[in-house]
Amino acid sequence: MPEFRYSNIEREMEVYGYDSFVKSHCRMCHGGCGVIVYVKNGKVSKIAGDPDCPIAHGTLCAKGLASAQLAYHKDRLTYPVKRIGPKASGKWEQISWDEALDTIAERILTYKEKHGPESVVFGYGTGRENEAVIYRIANVLGSPNVVTAGHFCYGPRICTSIITCGTNPIVDYENFPKCIIMWGNNVTISNPDEYKGEPFSVALDKGANLIVVDPRLTRPAARANVWLQLRPGTDAALALGMLNVIVNEKLYDKEFVEKYTHGWEPFVKRVNEYPLDRVEEITWVPKEKIREAAHLFATTKPAAIQWGVAIEQQTNCADNDRLLMFLMGITGNIDAPGGQVLNRQPNVVNVGQFGAHGMLPKDQFAKRLGGDRFRLASRFAILQPKCVWDAILEEKPYPVKMLFLISTNPLITSANAREVYRALEKVEFMAVADFFLTPTAELADIVLPAATWLEMDYVGDYWKRHGYILPRRKVIQVGECRSDHEMLNDLARRIGQGQYWWNNFEEALDYILHPMNITWNDFKKTNYIRGEVKYYKYKEGGFSTPTRKFELYSTTLEKMGYDPLPQHREPSESPVSTPDLYKEYPYILITGARQPGFFHTENRQIGRLRELDRDPIVEIHPDTAAKEKIKEGDWVIIESRRGSVRQRVRLSLGRDPRIVAAQHGWWFPEKKDPGHGWQESNINILTDNALESCDPAMGASNIRTLLCRIYPEAKGDSHE
Amino acid sequence: MNKHALIIEEFACWGCRACEVACKQEYNPVEADNGIKYLSVWPDGPKRMNGKLDFMWRVSVCKHCDEPACVKACPEDAIMKREDGIVILNYEKCTGCQLCIDECPYHAIRFDEEKKTAAKCNLCHHRVEKGLYPACADNICLAHCIYFGDPAEIEQKILEKRKARGGWGEIIPKAISMSKG
Repeated sequence: MPEFRYSNIEREMEVYGYDSFVKSHCRMCHGGCGVIVYVKNGKVSKIAGDPDCPIAHGTLCAKGLASAQLAYHKDRLTYPVKRIGPKASGKWEQISWDEALDTIAERILTYKEKHGPESVVFGYGTGRENEAVIYRIANVLGSPNVVTAGHFCYGPRICTSIITCGTNPIVDYENFPKCIIMWGNNVTISNPDEYKGEPFSVALDKGANLIVVDPRLTRPAARANVWLQLRPGTDAALALGMLNVIVNEKLYDKEFVEKYTHGWEPFVKRVNEYPLDRVEEITWVPKEKIREAAHLFATTKPAAIQWGVAIEQQTNCADNDRLLMFLMGITGNIDAPGGQVLNRQPNVVNVGQFGAHGMLPKDQFAKRLGGDRFRLASRFAILQPKCVWDAILEEKPYPVKMLFLISTNPLITSANAREVYRALEKVEFMAVADFFLTPTAELADIVLPAATWLEMDYVGDYWKRHGYILPRRKVIQVGECRSDHEMLNDLARRIGQGQYWWNNFEEALDYILHPMNITWNDFKKTNYIRGEVKYYKYKEGGFSTPTRKFELYSTTLEKMGYDPLPQHREPSESPVSTPDLYKEYPYILITGARQPGFFHTENRQIGRLRELDRDPIVEIHPDTAAKEKIKEGDWVIIESRRGSVRQRVRLSLGRDPRIVAAQHGWWFPEKKDPGHGWQESNINILTDNALESCDPAMGASNIRTLLCRIYPEAKGDSHE
Repeated sequence: MNKHALIIEEFACWGCRACEVACKQEYNPVEADNGIKYLSVWPDGPKRMNGKLDFMWRVSVCKHCDEPACVKACPEDAIMKREDGIVILNYEKCTGCQLCIDECPYHAIRFDEEKKTAAKCNLCHHRVEKGLYPACADNICLAHCIYFGDPAEIEQKILEKRKARGGWGEIIPKAISMSKG
């Protein structure tokens, strides 16, 4: 009888007759999971998890497993193209890489000359391990404008953690937290940066208590000791309520508070403005439950908070992040084993250095769009996208003439999609790099074929703060596709940046690794490299903040002219802030609940993933459905002040009847017209991008908490 | 003879559906679009249970029952229970009468419209015979809730996990025949 062993590479090779295997590092999301790629006849034949990976331990998600279907998709763009008809005409012609890059280079130099480098805006979506090269080309050019999702996704965690405690505190699953709060995410379905579901799941199997903060009954919420089903957009008030209990019942870590925090007294004063009666009224969460959760979290050691993006896509973005850090901090869980660790990266050239932020001249930094308004974001090179759309449409404060968008589909992911469309339609020149001709790419002048993770060498998880780097090794070449890093290295040399770039991108990888005295070729032979592991580092050197303390009272925000203490702000649209509007739009719309097969707008054309979720789904309570004469499976119209789209109804008892929960990221690649159904179910047609609705410090768009109405689609309205 | 069982502890399942895609990868070439599903994960609830809202994921896949209803139902002897515990549907012999589909208490058999036969999980017997784990059970599951091996040993492992969790989790019912009526 053969002996069974997980991921038995030798036997797989023998049984299936694969020619070779490559260990690599998946990037179907942000990155993170080690994989084994089996190759036969030069093609990827099978993908499996790599048990030697310290992050996911050989487990893998639906997206990772389906990666080969992305790489070899029949609709994939495999050579550069230029548009030969009007925008959105769908008329494209194949061109060479030389023609494509020379055209883009010529435009960059012309706009720089005529309108200044700030008129050229680079962009990417969520972090896809290309941010360092994109910032580098922009900074060396002198453009302060790189538009990303950073204003409301992960960027806030970085900015607020740097000003509070020096770096992003990461859950130390390796040492098994005994209590976990899962707040505003579901790490078993998607992947907040740094995190994979596996270690979270193992911690629960080791007996950790679980508290879930979520308006939706997810499986983790169903398994939780305490589920706090809050009114969307009231996370800050809930956290202040929990802090109120912890402070007033003296459940905090006294030594930590006395020795290592800054601003305890004003912080206590602020917390006392949020007694539980008030918090219950704001959040809809019964005060007994808030107290129970606060007790469980503060009295179980070690404890950790698994956070994610939902708390950031709100008006209270920065304060939500800070309040969650305060919960970690005053309970003594910061930099504690099994708590949240301020990890040290391996000794490499860090992303900030690689991004060449130091090369941006001061007078150009001062021109960053929205920089005067969203000062915390701007400090960290983050823009609010509407400032870019406005600069294109109104040419204020100066005209933006060119966009170079890399791995992003803002027509679907950016708030107020119709305004985004007008901006992309108007911008004088636009280049896009992507896998497919997406609805955004259809508005470009030139589209470059981007490589998938299977087609590139890179230092995986380079930008993460979990303390690891892992080699991503090129397995295949598809058509003429190039990695974002290679194409920008080439482009940079064509716009006179040669001295700051490399002959080929492998030399750049050597540069990243050189502080450790190793080359890419050396690194390629390892499974991973980890930074030094050390706990309670603050006891020796304090925190890396202006006061060297854990800042409950932010001296940085104070200097920038913001409230140094966190507060609850009502969303710009809510039953409380706009009661009249609430009469017309009587439901709270939340958006963006994740599906395991999709990554934002990606993968709708991947057979094995689309099969898991065919249609855009909106979830409502059965009582709501009865009231609005809607049945399970109906296509319905969801409408806000800004527009309406159609999605398909799933009834769910696990949602408050006052809530409508719609999915995001939907377009329909199977529709072959150049719009690809971008207006049909795209929830960002409904979302708000008014600057007044954004987080005042980060510029986070509030796309998670709006008001809407919902009603049956009239017969004949169907787009099918 | 070692007994082979595939046991999924649904209590621990998070609904990530990686097992579904791993199964598809094993049975379909990359270029093929979808193909038949041997395994499917589906939401059970949210529903009210004992005054509390509950929500779980369920996994429908052949349980390789001890006394399989499908074996009894098949008029062509196309389904057999092997000594190692695996219940195999022989596609060569299947005529597509669908009686097994009606009898399966777990709704784990589907009809393949293209090939006009029944279709179900044969527990990756081509892998198992070579000492490889079935595709879905080869450590891809983030919840580590898909078990393959000797049923008694699996039961022990699950009991230990429940204990570590503080007693949380369902007792896994042994897969046996549940003939209708």
